[in-house]
Amino acid sequence: MIFSEKLKKYRMNQSEYDLAKKLVGRDLKEIEWPLFSALWSEHCSYKTSKNHLRKFSYRNSRTPNIDGENAGLVDLGNQERIVFKMESHNHPSFIEPFQGAATGVGGILRDIFTMGARPIALANYLCFGEPGADRMRDLIDGVVKGISSYGNCVGVPTVTGQTEFHPEYNKNILVNAMAVGLLTGDEKLALSRGQTAGSLVVYVGAKTGKDGVHGASMASESFGEDSEAKKPNVQIGDPFYEKLLIEACLEVIHQDLVLAIQDMGAAGLTSSSFEMASKSQMGLELRLDQVPIRDSSLTPEEILLSESQERMLLMCEPAKFDQIQKLFHRWGLEASILGKVIPEKLVKIYWHNELLTEIDPDLLVENAPRYDRAFEIPTRRLKIEKQNLNESQIKEKFLSFFAQPRFWNRSPIYRQYDQRVGTRTMKDATQSVAFLKLPSQRELAIAVGCRPEIFKQDVLLGSYDAVFYPALQMAIKGAKVLALTDCLNFGNPEKKDIMGEFALSVASIAEAAKVLDAPVISGNVSFYNETDQKGIPPTPAIGAVGLREAKTEIPSDQFQKENLKVYSLQIPFVTVESNSINIENLRKYLWQILLLGEKINFASSKMVGKGGTLWTLLQMSQDGVGITLQTQNIGQLCQEDFYRVIVAISPEQEKQFQELLKDGLFKNSFELLGTTKNNSFQITQNLKWNLQELRMKHKTSAQEVFGEFL
Amino acid sequence: MSRKTQVGVIRFPGTNCDQDVFSWVQREGLNAKWIWHRDSFSDQEFDLVILPGGFSYGDYLRSGALAAQSKAVESLISHVKKGRHVLGICNGFQILCEAKLLPGALVTNQSLRFQDDWVDVRVENTGPVCAKVEKSQKYKLPIAHKMGRFFAPADDLKKIQDSDQVWLRYEKNPNGSLDNIAGIWNAEKTVCALMPHPERASLEWMGSQDGKAFL
Repeated sequence: MIFSEKLKKYRMNQSEYDLAKKLVGRDLKEIEWPLFSALWSEHCSYKTSKNHLRKFSYRNSRTPNIDGENAGLVDLGNQERIVFKMESHNHPSFIEPFQGAATGVGGILRDIFTMGARPIALANYLCFGEPGADRMRDLIDGVVKGISSYGNCVGVPTVTGQTEFHPEYNKNILVNAMAVGLLTGDEKLALSRGQTAGSLVVYVGAKTGKDGVHGASMASESFGEDSEAKKPNVQIGDPFYEKLLIEACLEVIHQDLVLAIQDMGAAGLTSSSFEMASKSQMGLELRLDQVPIRDSSLTPEEILLSESQERMLLMCEPAKFDQIQKLFHRWGLEASILGKVIPEKLVKIYWHNELLTEIDPDLLVENAPRYDRAFEIPTRRLKIEKQNLNESQIKEKFLSFFAQPRFWNRSPIYRQYDQRVGTRTMKDATQSVAFLKLPSQRELAIAVGCRPEIFKQDVLLGSYDAVFYPALQMAIKGAKVLALTDCLNFGNPEKKDIMGEFALSVASIAEAAKVLDAPVISGNVSFYNETDQKGIPPTPAIGAVGLREAKTEIPSDQFQKENLKVYSLQIPFVTVESNSINIENLRKYLWQILLLGEKINFASSKMVGKGGTLWTLLQMSQDGVGITLQTQNIGQLCQEDFYRVIVAISPEQEKQFQELLKDGLFKNSFELLGTTKNNSFQITQNLKWNLQELRMKHKTSAQEVFGEFL
Repeated sequence: MSRKTQVGVIRFPGTNCDQDVFSWVQREGLNAKWIWHRDSFSDQEFDLVILPGGFSYGDYLRSGALAAQSKAVESLISHVKKGRHVLGICNGFQILCEAKLLPGALVTNQSLRFQDDWVDVRVENTGPVCAKVEKSQKYKLPIAHKMGRFFAPADDLKKIQDSDQVWLRYEKNPNGSLDNIAGIWNAEKTVCALMPHPERASLEWMGSQDGKAFL
């Protein structure tokens, strides 16, 4: 193959090749091409983002620094630690939605149990195009079925998520999966370093096949005409195998049989072995002919790059191998020795006794290129126009919502997920925040955030909102946000404006996280979400985890009782009047809400979101108890505020509630909206609906994609 | 005082409600013990054996088909011959049908999709297993299955109906089950199974405590 073709095949450019050559001190050998190609890909090396991601270095006493590991950790006290992360699987899901989404779930789960934590919850963040766009219905259906088939079978509940529909995602859908794991008592946290010279290198899990070869470098490219041809790069998942792997891995970790362990994710055996070697500053002898394979025609290169699913690499003392093997056998799985750890910092790769290469792992991991790409910070700002609608305008606007995918009922999606396996789920995906019961009887909150329609108009505001909105959603339920994960989905970073969006997002998310004392402890970057030169809007999805320690009942999103008093509280974040942003101020309001919630039991609570107060009230009326409005201020009922909170309280607590409000930050910004009432949805005497009909209209809104499945 | 009820919980590879059921049994004050799918057990050992939900053997071939051929189910058949009790939940129901310990079969939901829902079931006929469950009462329980639609040929269905083997009926049929059937008995009333998950409705914060009555 001529040199230029080779560069193309391995998706490297001339300067990267020159750097590799300089580091190695000679031209690359045949087998070294795929190693550099995979480990220096954007997907594995974060070569474009690393300089910016340093901004996420803030940590607090709950979040020990374990950077470089598969996921971040939060110590909840009471001998409970959680591990969580969110990851993208956008490119594979667009090519093959079912397998792409399924293996996205599988991959993020492995990041969690490789650390010794039992996965207890899944969440997802999905962005689709218009349902009428080319292939879109199949993409939506395939992605949801993929997530459902994998998560349900592996026995981890999918408890929350967010789904967006926007034409900007017509040719680049986003599939981000988040997993949360739990370590209790003195269960050991497993790391990907810690092996000693002489340790065995052990391969466990499924056999290696040709699936996913070059997957990492594929995910580091834009789509063009040839996306169909990329199908063979997509991996195939087997959740049954993963379930066995979870049980077996947790057993060997908690019986203290392993020194280090890492899953084989992007770039498979290559990334796991080289990264583990580099992190511990030791070498490895790796015998590729010992890798269990599905297909005898596999070449050493394919074995190194295969992204076959459900595989892990672990290192153990030689004396412990028999016990490990026995445990894996019990679960019907194999454990094979590939080689051993050597003190010399060299990875030696053998194929039937032939030494294919020996190379310093740092050259591929630590010395990967770093790009300080040029960027231009976007300056566009959201202009909030104050609405003042009359009755008939409200009616028209409100009714128009039902037909827009943005307002569609999401229950046909989340009802395909097992939300209760594990018997920890207190609040499921019908609520804006999911809650799980912890062994200590405290409650773990999970929510995701990021509203692309804001990013389109204002990257700064969108980034703050991606953090604050889920944090506020938690606060109105009585939970304090503790830590965040992110999945930064962007277009082509080689374009100045895209790189500027990225830089601004990272800086602003980091700033908001620090203000809330909720560190960003893990994450993932997905660039090149671009087709035919057209990229997606900035979409940095946030996964937030919080804790609730109150003994009271968690407020529901829906009204559950008649005759409750419904109030709205306005938080002056971006006001119509000033259009200024003050995030320090926002933190004070968030604390105030937490304090209010401790004194007054909110029966129901919800943040005003899309469609403004009126649409939010309809969502709060989905269980059949609606509202009769008393307020005269109806002109802004469809305004999408930053931010407005709606709470329902018992009439007995109304006086105390008002006094507390008058003494605090909300003294000039609260309002009684109305009273809850069965089957009522009355705005004014003239503007009212039969709630049952509205609920039915909403319930069937996604029919065009999900058919009769309501 | 009589001795505590001895409950065995079978774990197949791919069972994923095993821990949930085990904890539920313990919470209800009974003695719980694991049964590994590769092991046999004595027909004297357990008063009740529970087959929890999940995806035994990855649902390969058909839900429950491979588990029905396991060593543990071989022992289960002797356990049943001794007149001892069995409860199957979700995938456990599918396994019991495949093992011919219960009549009928569970096929793919009418929606062709996995469904996670809350349902109300009404008790049609009671028996010595799950004896706290009351006839004609309604119970609110969650379902989570893709293959939960009960099916039996017309003759078999008639036999099930005529011999009072219908245990539970859905108030509102979620999946296209014949005759709204959510749970059935064997002819001897020693083996019963249901598609909903009582263990997921056994504490106040779970959204319903109606499942407690099933132990």
